Amino acid sequence: MQLRLIIERFDPQTNDAAYRQTFTVDWERHETVLDVLLKARRQDPALAFRRSCRSGICGSCAMQIGNISRLACQTLVRDVTGDGGELEIKPLPGFRQLKDLVVDLEPFFAALKRVLPWVITGPHHDGLISPEVSARIETPATCILCGVCDAAIPQNGPVTSAALVKNVRLAVDPRDALGSERMKSAGLTGEGLQTFRELLANICPKGIKLPPVVQE
Amino acid sequence: MIFHDIVIVGGGLTGLMAAVEAPPGTDVALISKIYPTRSHSGAAQGGFNAAMAEDDSVENHVFDTVKGSDYLGDQDAIETLCSEGPEVIRKLEQMGVPWSRTPEGRPAQRSLGGASFPRACYSADISGHAVLHTLYERALAAGVRIYPEWHLVELLLEEGRLAGLLVYDLATGRLEVVRCRVALLATGGYGRIFRKTTNGHANTGDGTAIAYRAGAVLSDMEFVQFHPTTLYGTNILISEAARGDGGYLRNAAGERFMARYAPQKMELAPRDVVSRSIFQEIKDGRGLGEGYINLDLTHLGADKIHRLLPQVNELAHLYAAVDSSQTPIPIEPAQHYSMGGIRVNRDCETSIPGLLAAGETANVSVHGANRLGGNSLLETVVFGRRAGRRMLEMVKRPMPPRPRVSLERALSNWQANFGVGAPRQSDDSVFAIREDMGRIMTDKVGVFRTGVELKQAMEELAVLRSRYAALRVPAGEHSFNQQLIDHMELGFMLELSEMTAGAAWRRTESRGAHFRIDYPRRNDPDWLHHTLIRRGDDGRPIYEAGTVAFTRFQPQERGY
Ligand SMILES: Cc1cc2nc3c(=O)[nH]c(=O)nc-3n(C[C@H](O)[C@H](O)[C@H](O)COP(=O)(O)OP(=O)(O)OC[C@H]3O[C@@H](n4cnc5c(N)ncnc54)[C@H](O)[C@@H]3O)c2cc1C
Ligand code: SF4
Ligand code: FES
Repeated sequence: MQLRLIIERFDPQTNDAAYRQTFTVDWERHETVLDVLLKARRQDPALAFRRSCRSGICGSCAMQIGNISRLACQTLVRDVTGDGGELEIKPLPGFRQLKDLVVDLEPFFAALKRVLPWVITGPHHDGLISPEVSARIETPATCILCGVCDAAIPQNGPVTSAALVKNVRLAVDPRDALGSERMKSAGLTGEGLQTFRELLANICPKGIKLPPVVQE
Repeated sequence: MIFHDIVIVGGGLTGLMAAVEAPPGTDVALISKIYPTRSHSGAAQGGFNAAMAEDDSVENHVFDTVKGSDYLGDQDAIETLCSEGPEVIRKLEQMGVPWSRTPEGRPAQRSLGGASFPRACYSADISGHAVLHTLYERALAAGVRIYPEWHLVELLLEEGRLAGLLVYDLATGRLEVVRCRVALLATGGYGRIFRKTTNGHANTGDGTAIAYRAGAVLSDMEFVQFHPTTLYGTNILISEAARGDGGYLRNAAGERFMARYAPQKMELAPRDVVSRSIFQEIKDGRGLGEGYINLDLTHLGADKIHRLLPQVNELAHLYAAVDSSQTPIPIEPAQHYSMGGIRVNRDCETSIPGLLAAGETANVSVHGANRLGGNSLLETVVFGRRAGRRMLEMVKRPMPPRPRVSLERALSNWQANFGVGAPRQSDDSVFAIREDMGRIMTDKVGVFRTGVELKQAMEELAVLRSRYAALRVPAGEHSFNQQLIDHMELGFMLELSEMTAGAAWRRTESRGAHFRIDYPRRNDPDWLHHTLIRRGDDGRPIYEAGTVAFTRFQPQERGY
């Protein structure tokens, strides 16, 4: 089977603006979008995109595939094109394109850093956490910092989407000295958080369903 | 030119653990070719071994590890690993790791292969991810200076000691010289030299090859672990936790064939034993399809699978189109872990003054001829921490001289990568050579080895090396020049492939993961020693024997 991959390309050294280039690649039914991108790179070794784990756990390969922001390694070609034909791939929206499908992640990580994204271990913690509480922490802790939620659910407030997920993860952790205080900085109403929770569950590649969290 | 007191290369568990050991205010830089959270440590699922439970003991852990290593592990290093384990796990707990918990609230532990006790601490089946992100957060808290997407290219030695690093910044396409008092290589394994591997794309062994080129001694390169259960075709790992939590291996007849090979431990025998058993079944015509075996979880029930093995379930669903609670998962063995690496002592010091190494890139050696599940994650944090501590002692030393001669040489090596326009031989490419290398390694340097095939592999790899020498990449300061990275990584991998095949050819016995059909028995009188490898003046590897450290346990027959 053949697939026409339409990739948005841009090289700051030679181009004034992004353009679309079509690659024709052979394709098999079990293959992911990352697999076909790697084939495209054999045709043009200069084609740039990030990848590392190829199993949906490192967060490197987030991009816009057929108008939806998602992970290339976790998206089967057949799920987005049916029987093949054509597939359009662009860099993650809302991020600055550096080259081809590579975007600038510095603002993303800087936004994360602003919420003090670490457990500030309180003095009273005895090292024990019940399995129920630990399950609540585990869900948002599966976040792979891929950036899809920042691309798909832009936040107006001071706290960006992925940073908000980190905030929730820390707010439900009994070890953390700030705990639910952390939710104040997000400036979200209970309703706003609920909407975010639903949106996130639909778009997050890890399917993160945020646990309930106390909001003052 | 940039200057830092301490430079850590690698943002996986090892590098981050070393970085967070430094007290605030210490000048620590972390260079990583991918963003730290993208490191392959994050893919680890099973867990971190540590003797935490009252009825377990450090001594048991040491013995299991020594036996698992087929007596090639250094027992002093193994004692360090096992005795510091519980303390490091508690430290990680304080740092905020979301461990899965027992009903009493303590970190829960599960069984992994080759262990006499359920001693792997875990977070569901995202154990590596959970700890990697916690350590990354601590590194941010500690103000570690992170240089993401910077590639180490060469080590710069002056007067026989480390004086700096030549580094390539992928985003700008520019070289930088980083001077430092002491540096740590925590650059991970080199599984990508094999076509079939569980390892991610970044695991190309850069640090190991770069250290070797700079004169560091490598060891035990012939010992390569093949994981028994990887998804048939893609070789994505299906964690040993799947068997630890009760999964069965079945052949085409539905038989639990491990009864034939390891009647006591069954599915939980060490990986080398299970991988060989699977291939034997397939060889004897009891495999399925074109050569796979079934991993059966159906008897566990959907509920248990979702609770304990969510990622396994997801991976099987996505990449093999299987609902693991209804249908067995098709699996085959594939390369998984590099036991060999840069030879270091227990303080993580290499043979180059000022240069340390730890984690999968190093060989200390706690795994000997075969690593047990859960021991290498433990190694990353125990030896990462030790490396961090040792570096704090070493920063008090005077600043090494400014790199001059070494820098000139490194820059001329760098220039040799480039040519005008496209590759000189337009019908050859990095991709083609890489494919050939992967095939040779998987077919001839795999689970079952023979002298004849290993010799062939060495000759074929030498041909690849000369094909590689004819390739060039376009010059210029390009940002995100992936072509250049592919080119450099292939050079590192070819070097490591040849040493892996060479050391395997030389060792005429079978031990742990190294199995020679033509020498099927372990041979202690002749081979109970490490293989040390250094680079000769002609650039070719020189192989020598190195002594194994014994403390408590003398070699015995290794039955499971
Ligand atoms: C799929 C999988 C599952 C596993 N599960 C388990 C398990 O359950 N239990 C267990 O004990 N072990 C497990 N292992 C093994 C274990 O995960 C690894 O051995 C360990 O994580 C290696 O950590 P590291 O810090 O040494 O290297 P890595 O995590 O691989 O990190 C290497 C770092 O080096 C950097 N780097 C590499 N080259 C360069 C360069 N040239 N310049 C700059 N930076 C560079 C990379 O950017 C990266 O940050 C598993 C391995 C795999 C592949
Ligand atoms: S919450 Fe989900 S979408 Fe957002 S960064 Fe994390 S994994 Fe990606
Ligand atoms: S390559 Fe790691 S998430 Fe896709």
